Amino acid sequence: MAKQATPRRGEEVDVLIVGAGPSGAVAAKELSGAGLSVVCLEQGYNPDPSDFPGKDPAFELLSQKNWHPNPNVRDMPRDYPVNTDESDINPLMFAGVGGSTTLYAGHWTPFLPSDFQVRSMDGVAEDWPFTYEDLLPYLEEVEQAVGVSGLPGNPAYPPQRGYPTPPLPIGKAGMKAAEGMDKLGWHWWPGTNAIPSLAWNGLNPCVRTGTCMTGCPEGAKSTANITYWPQAMRQGARLVTGARVREIEVDDRGLATGAVYIDDHGRERRQKAKVVIVCANGIGTPRLLLLSKSKRFPDGLANSSGLVGKRLMMHPFSAVMGVYEDPLDSWIGPFGQLIESFEFYETDEKRGFLRGAKWGAMPGGGPLGATSFVGSQIFKGDEPAVEDLWCENLHEMVERRFGHSLVWGIIGEDLPEEDNRVELDPEVTDTDGIAAPKLIYKVSQNSHDMLRFHVARLLEAVEAAGAIETNIVHQVPDTGWHLIGTCTMGDDPKRSVVNQWGQAHDVPNLYLMDASTFPTSGGVNPTATIMTVALRQARHLVAERRNQEAA
Amino acid sequence: MSLVNDTQRKTFAGIADVLIPEAEGMPSASQAEVHGAILDRVVELRPDLREAFFRGLNKAAGQDPQTATEALNADDTEALGAIGLLASAAYYMQPQVRALIGYPGQENRPVDADSEPEYVANGMLQVVIDRGPIYRPTPKDA
Repeated sequence: MAKQATPRRGEEVDVLIVGAGPSGAVAAKELSGAGLSVVCLEQGYNPDPSDFPGKDPAFELLSQKNWHPNPNVRDMPRDYPVNTDESDINPLMFAGVGGSTTLYAGHWTPFLPSDFQVRSMDGVAEDWPFTYEDLLPYLEEVEQAVGVSGLPGNPAYPPQRGYPTPPLPIGKAGMKAAEGMDKLGWHWWPGTNAIPSLAWNGLNPCVRTGTCMTGCPEGAKSTANITYWPQAMRQGARLVTGARVREIEVDDRGLATGAVYIDDHGRERRQKAKVVIVCANGIGTPRLLLLSKSKRFPDGLANSSGLVGKRLMMHPFSAVMGVYEDPLDSWIGPFGQLIESFEFYETDEKRGFLRGAKWGAMPGGGPLGATSFVGSQIFKGDEPAVEDLWCENLHEMVERRFGHSLVWGIIGEDLPEEDNRVELDPEVTDTDGIAAPKLIYKVSQNSHDMLRFHVARLLEAVEAAGAIETNIVHQVPDTGWHLIGTCTMGDDPKRSVVNQWGQAHDVPNLYLMDASTFPTSGGVNPTATIMTVALRQARHLVAERRNQEAA
Repeated sequence: MSLVNDTQRKTFAGIADVLIPEAEGMPSASQAEVHGAILDRVVELRPDLREAFFRGLNKAAGQDPQTATEALNADDTEALGAIGLLASAAYYMQPQVRALIGYPGQENRPVDADSEPEYVANGMLQVVIDRGPIYRPTPKDA
């Protein structure tokens, strides 16, 4: 493919992308590869692996603040604050090239076939405008670029092409987790992760440092700044970091003309484009559309349905810790998923709730992890007295738990409800004075009942493996990793914001290509599906480029 | 120049020893020298904790450590939380403490991707495979 000349600043381009995370990166690589001129505006910067705390002895201390996934805790200048006063769950994200995958665990769990047809199969929410089978070829292509490690043949999924790299070791902790599942006759499978076991597409092989969720200092966790952006930029895409978009502008015909942004010197700039794609996540994308009010779009851009910001899904999360007599060396990585289970993924109405959840087993972490998980002190019990966590009990607890524990996480399908939503906060702003988002989110009864059921089953599993201690944490606040559904896709413009190609019903040259468009959330970590849907949509945009209406 | 003066350092050592005493074969916090150079490092790394940390130390200055700890627990849990977190972080960063609990730190362990996993060799995974697919078939006319 001939290299497109890199656009100069301010020059009108074929495509402007807002957000350089996984979906924005997929779009940038695909569109620049097709010869389109592309500029991407990213509010954060390109992460420097030497900044990641990794093997620093202070890594656990830093994970509780500087590298915490909650932007309100991290409170860095490039983070925007999120008002969570009326939300049961705190959203987690990272502003930078590669987006929130900078801090993710790399669980690679594509949506399952039933996830796309929940209305047809379970009479709830909506079917997607396409099926698992429609996505599969794109998924297999994305997995090659991402460098997924895993073992083919998982009976939880239909047959598919194998993964580019072999599975990572599951370690003693993974084997212990598998023991319990084996005794109960339940499904388990060695974890599939976006962490290659061999050098792949610019990634180094995983060396099991175990610090995936504070950024991989080895460059061995698949993030788009490594796997997608270098090629996109070689193809001519221009990536502008430190650029915070304030508004998408439109012309008299209601077509997008580009965006106004604040550069990292605080100057207001304008980037013109024939097509605008927003990939700013399930909170950032509706925030930007709601900020982009005009005479023609008084309720926010592309919001004639009134659904921009609504139907927020965040995957309420519970976890079960199992502690074992045997040494599990459970500070050793990967801090992706050691093993996974889909035993209770599909609907069984006898359980009293609809849909289900995926389980992922992870190591326990370092000594501070005796009471914490992913930077938050969630395993300390309710209102503990000083002597419960300190004094002789501290030594006893660390001796018992450290190196002997594993944590099962439960990702349960969160069904869409219009009352769960993103709005603009009337007072709080980011460092550029742009209105911050406010979340209104309540965990549904269905999610509550689902998590209770799954916790009970997981207790059986960890006890079957011989746990000497178990700890449960229900609906952890700092677990809103998955920001989904706030600009839903569908065929009916009155009931959706975009069509299956991510194209806004109201603004034909505005596209949304992130998880904000997902009609439902699945019960799995969504990055695989986010990147896959973005590839399918970007490829369609290229195929239809000659028919594309533009300002 | 250190952010922590001698009085604060001494007060910190006393409270840290209440929280992390010599017991269960482990040294106390001060025996592990958490009030030494490593205290400056952890205070430097977590500026967000400083206000509560120093507030707690200044309130506790000159008091019996046990009494001061109980008072902070009753009246200023944020301050005690900051002191406790920095004390425990410093403690478990010390090489002699890590050696005692068998923690080498987060280190590299290269993977032999070609080796046969134990769960394959011992037949555990074959049992899962033999049970067959568990995903729900979807309607083909959707």
